[in-house]
Amino acid sequence: MRVTVPSPAPSVASVLASVQTFEILGVEAHEVSVEVDVGRGLPCFSLVGLPDAAVRESRERVRAALLNSGFDFPQERITASLAPADLRKAGPGLDLAIAAALLAASGQLSPEALDGVALSGELALDGGIRPVAGALAMAERARRAGARALVVANPNSAEAALSGATVIGVTRLEELRALGTDDEPAAAQPLHISTNGAGPSLLDLADLRGQPALRRALEVAAAGGHSLLMIGPPGAGKSMAARRLPSLLPPLTPPEAIEVVRVAGACGQPLRTASVGVRPFRAPHHTISAAGLVGGGNPPRAGEATLAHRGVLFLDELPEYRRDAIEALRQPLEDGRVLIARARHAIELPCNFQLVAAANPCPCGHGEESPSCRCPTLSIRRYQTKLTGALADRIDLSLHVKQPEAAALRGPPGERSATVRERVLEARDRQHCRLGGRCNAEMSSRETREHCRLDAEAQALLDSGQGQFGLSGRGYERVLRVARTLADLAGRDRIEADELSAAVAMRRRAPV
Amino acid sequence: MSRARAWTIERGAVAYPAALEELPDPPPVIHGVGDRRALADLEHEATVTIVGSRRATAYGLRMAEELGRDLAYAGVTVVSGLAYGIDAAAHRGAIAGGGPTVAVLGGGPDVVYPPSHRGLHRQVLACGAAISEHPPGTETTKWSFPARNRIMAALAKMTIIVEAAEPSGSLITAQRATELHRDVGAVPGQVGMRVAGGPHALIRDGAALIRGAQDVLDEMLGIGRVSVSHSGPRLEAALLSVLESVERGADTPDAVATAAEIDPHEAAVALGRLELLGYVAVNGAGAYSRTSLSAPGV
Repeated sequence: MRVTVPSPAPSVASVLASVQTFEILGVEAHEVSVEVDVGRGLPCFSLVGLPDAAVRESRERVRAALLNSGFDFPQERITASLAPADLRKAGPGLDLAIAAALLAASGQLSPEALDGVALSGELALDGGIRPVAGALAMAERARRAGARALVVANPNSAEAALSGATVIGVTRLEELRALGTDDEPAAAQPLHISTNGAGPSLLDLADLRGQPALRRALEVAAAGGHSLLMIGPPGAGKSMAARRLPSLLPPLTPPEAIEVVRVAGACGQPLRTASVGVRPFRAPHHTISAAGLVGGGNPPRAGEATLAHRGVLFLDELPEYRRDAIEALRQPLEDGRVLIARARHAIELPCNFQLVAAANPCPCGHGEESPSCRCPTLSIRRYQTKLTGALADRIDLSLHVKQPEAAALRGPPGERSATVRERVLEARDRQHCRLGGRCNAEMSSRETREHCRLDAEAQALLDSGQGQFGLSGRGYERVLRVARTLADLAGRDRIEADELSAAVAMRRRAPV
Repeated sequence: MSRARAWTIERGAVAYPAALEELPDPPPVIHGVGDRRALADLEHEATVTIVGSRRATAYGLRMAEELGRDLAYAGVTVVSGLAYGIDAAAHRGAIAGGGPTVAVLGGGPDVVYPPSHRGLHRQVLACGAAISEHPPGTETTKWSFPARNRIMAALAKMTIIVEAAEPSGSLITAQRATELHRDVGAVPGQVGMRVAGGPHALIRDGAALIRGAQDVLDEMLGIGRVSVSHSGPRLEAALLSVLESVERGADTPDAVATAAEIDPHEAAVALGRLELLGYVAVNGAGAYSRTSLSAPGV
């Protein structure tokens, strides 16, 4: 921060101060500098630089907070400018920086106190400091910009400290006085990242009784990162299975875990300290809009696909989703990120998620061939077109699920998640060696050709049948990638006829 | 609407199908798009009409498609109505078998109904024709279908009903065929299924029982004149036992595992392999069923 007395005419006793803070756009923090000028004139407090309503109201909060924490509110002409002036400023996170700049400009804080410090926080009228969204993104940005420290509200400090920057947590405005002195609070400790990825809240696969085919499909999906579609009547265990997929997935690496916290924080999700390091699981309701799913609006905000980054996005009742919402998922599924462009700015959102979808066989849920299905032909067709549409092309595994028999429900619990996960981890290790840290579902066409070699018997089997299947080029590659995962699970280098056959049985089929 | 050039064949012209003259009310003009020869060279003796329910089961669709394919392969012209379900499957099969196939439409020959069958219509034109008694551009109406059915029944030596509930348009076609002294055949289904009611009633009343293209050819040309049967590669004992359990009604990997008393993963592998070899097929609801490909004896 700088405090300068403009030189030309000392008689104009105007004092200027500027302080760094941040504004969140998408999942990134952007630098904003708050300049405050206190000069002669009728007492007033004006705020310029495209503030939205919440930012404009910050004048009232700053005034009350200053007075209630033992500072003076200067009875002079105060102008606060938020630069860059063409970036819209939203939300209450700028309060703390405006207050700090005002204190410096009015000589109530020493210039050294704010030197090289960035601040972000919302003010309470009593001078307390409230947490803001996106603290980790701001801290990373502050670190890159070379700030000495980031000052945030205490509840934000452990999250922000994950960035490796020096983070000072404060609870009240008057604590700013201690900055730069010997009484400065110690830097906050970062959150603990759970390295085994198994949070206490994860549901266990042992709850899923019977259903060997469904269990197997989950294991393969987890092992290769494949997208999965489950079709079956209500009560067959589709949602139950999907919710247990995160317990089979490998843990997040520390950089991935930090990324997940950053994204969730920037999107304003409450931080659950117990689950840092656990893959996110998002299951938006089917009434969601396209903008809600992949991000959008103005200013653009991240959607559920971004919140599911590095985790699982579960779309239950897939055909009930709005068509435009489903279509909008195409680019994210292909690229692992989505670009939202608006007139003023374009933002890129990460959304590298694993898609799991569930659908009923027809609108009533019984299935077209069941005697109790009374759905009109047209509505069945409309329902199924949503399944054959754009998204179907990008689904690796498809599975028809039936209601388990009563005997299976009474039977012993199935294998536990931990046991299955060990096999998944072994298979992932093989893929990581081969693909440099990625999984089979992410293989390009060229990599698929290179790594998915069939042995002679498998090749002969495929040649015997391909004509009748009408497997498209894309469909064929999908079968090969799934077969590769099956071979990884079996610990084989080459794809044998058994893996190929099983992959064929699990492939996505066009409804008639 | 298709851009294909339309043509007409008037009653009395050499190319006018003689079979239509047997109708009490032959259409004065036949409008068509696609290959005119598909109609002009149509041999009544080597033409089969395949019709059935729009809301067919996977079994019905597969039977219609196999019939269409094998009959077309044997040189028979397959006539149908381009509707959802059985009609579309029969056309698809005929196209796969190398055609020719003729679609008889309720509106103009270039007015595709249902509209989602535009692609299929185009394929039909590529290896056959779409015809109608209405000029191009005529919209399809509800009451144009029964009239259309009489043309389908008249064109073919034999009309085959694959699946049909009682009462239904397909049964009207069968009735028309009987009135015209044409052969009627029906593909049996599972007792109790609604769409099997029509064919079973026809069989009870004397229609030929159709299990595949061979039955049709035997019926039309005399037993053993033309043979279309084919069988697949030899199977190991394990695969044979899985195949038997599918024949007994096990339709998912888990059900097969229980029936054949094997590991569920092995069951999935075996089903995938049988599918690759063409012995089983899967419908849109994920149920496995047996195809008509016969396994060589052990």
